[in-house]
Amino acid sequence: MSSSPPVKLIGHFASPFVHRAAAALRLKGVPYEFIQEDLENKSELMLANNPIHKKVPVLLHGDRAVCESLVIVEYVDEAFDGPPLLPADPYDRAMARFWAHFMDTKCRTPLVLSFLTEGEQQEGFLKETKENLALLEAQLDGKRFFGGDSVGYLDIALSGMSRWMAVFEEMTGVSLLADDDFAALRRWAKEYTSNEAVMQCLPGIEQIKGHFSATAKKDKVKAVATAMQQQQ
Amino acid sequence: MAAAAAAVEVTVVDFWCNEFGMRARLALREKRVPFEFVEEDLRVRERSDLVRRMNPVHRAIPILIHAGRPVCGSLNIVEYVDEVWSKTPRLLPADPLERANARFWADFVDQKVYDAQARFFTNRGEEKAAAMAELLGHLRRLEAVLRDRPFFGGDEFGFLDVALVPFSSMFYGYERHGGVDMEAECPVLLRWVRRCGERVSVRDVLPSGQDMYAIHKEFYQTE
Repeated sequence: MSSSPPVKLIGHFASPFVHRAAAALRLKGVPYEFIQEDLENKSELMLANNPIHKKVPVLLHGDRAVCESLVIVEYVDEAFDGPPLLPADPYDRAMARFWAHFMDTKCRTPLVLSFLTEGEQQEGFLKETKENLALLEAQLDGKRFFGGDSVGYLDIALSGMSRWMAVFEEMTGVSLLADDDFAALRRWAKEYTSNEAVMQCLPGIEQIKGHFSATAKKDKVKAVATAMQQQQ
Repeated sequence: MAAAAAAVEVTVVDFWCNEFGMRARLALREKRVPFEFVEEDLRVRERSDLVRRMNPVHRAIPILIHAGRPVCGSLNIVEYVDEVWSKTPRLLPADPLERANARFWADFVDQKVYDAQARFFTNRGEEKAAAMAELLGHLRRLEAVLRDRPFFGGDEFGFLDVALVPFSSMFYGYERHGGVDMEAECPVLLRWVRRCGERVSVRDVLPSGQDMYAIHKEFYQTE
């Protein structure tokens, strides 16, 4: 057994982006040390290793640093032995990367914008989010996971939906992924969050709620909830 | 007959002055893959049936169509081309860390360079100057990545070179529109641009600075 340089993940337990990196490591079977970052008081270690974006996650592998969550996921897939995270076929890989990018730009962005706007603008962003989630859901196409029979790159990229969405719903008492609309996504979320490797690095709903409640975000989330109730 | 079939097997839907689309066309040329170039005029408001069919989600170009199947997203297309036509020299390096660095910096170009460039052309006065200062800062960061190597890919023209070089066709525009002396501001990058310009692919795909500036003035309705 060859010895490999130590792996550390600088992150924050409540971040869905950090979870992507952690999930990749767990699914690949790579042992790592998790370094919790105080986002209000960023560490020298983090800033030195991510001077460009100054964000988590940051993966440290020996003296190497890798930043940006999806770049980290691909790095983990390529640098370590273990079950492959990306599909083998180039076209399937292109599709996986496409939908991962779509999640960040077309689902998360309008959702976050909905927190920051009001009235008609907010309704517009929420409508956009729901329409785009429906497009994502269609990619499941009856499969157990976006990656097929096992968890893969796209499941990891979309993992924010599996837990953080539920946090939002619990905090506001309103459903974004309402029962009738997104049955397939809900089924997928159950499958993903039940995966043994994933469970080891997935924060609990109460944990995440506690973190967001402690910050100013709670008020904005409530405002979104009100708008959503009016939409339904 | 076989050559003709191969020629229509790959299509790129793009507009001649689209920096993102140039990445796709550069990658195919570097790999010596023949392709059909179908032009989509971005000055026309409505997207064509072809674009709406092949990229219903974003209705954007470039789109690579290979054996009837679309691939969208310029960096996505470059990685796809690199993986499918894998016998020719690889655009992404073999080492996982180098691959991660190439992807990280290509993402940086998308997140930072394009945005600052757009703000430089669309804003006025102080905001315009601020956008250019930002843009030059980003380009200097990229110079630091390049160091004294011939290409971002090292000895070979690679993924990050493909991702960035299209933006060099706007440098003339920065000079004309913003009074920037690019040679003075980014001499290392300019040396790299000239080196890239020696490649047939780059000479064939990149439009002249004058043509790029002219059409961007039209898009941004400046001056």
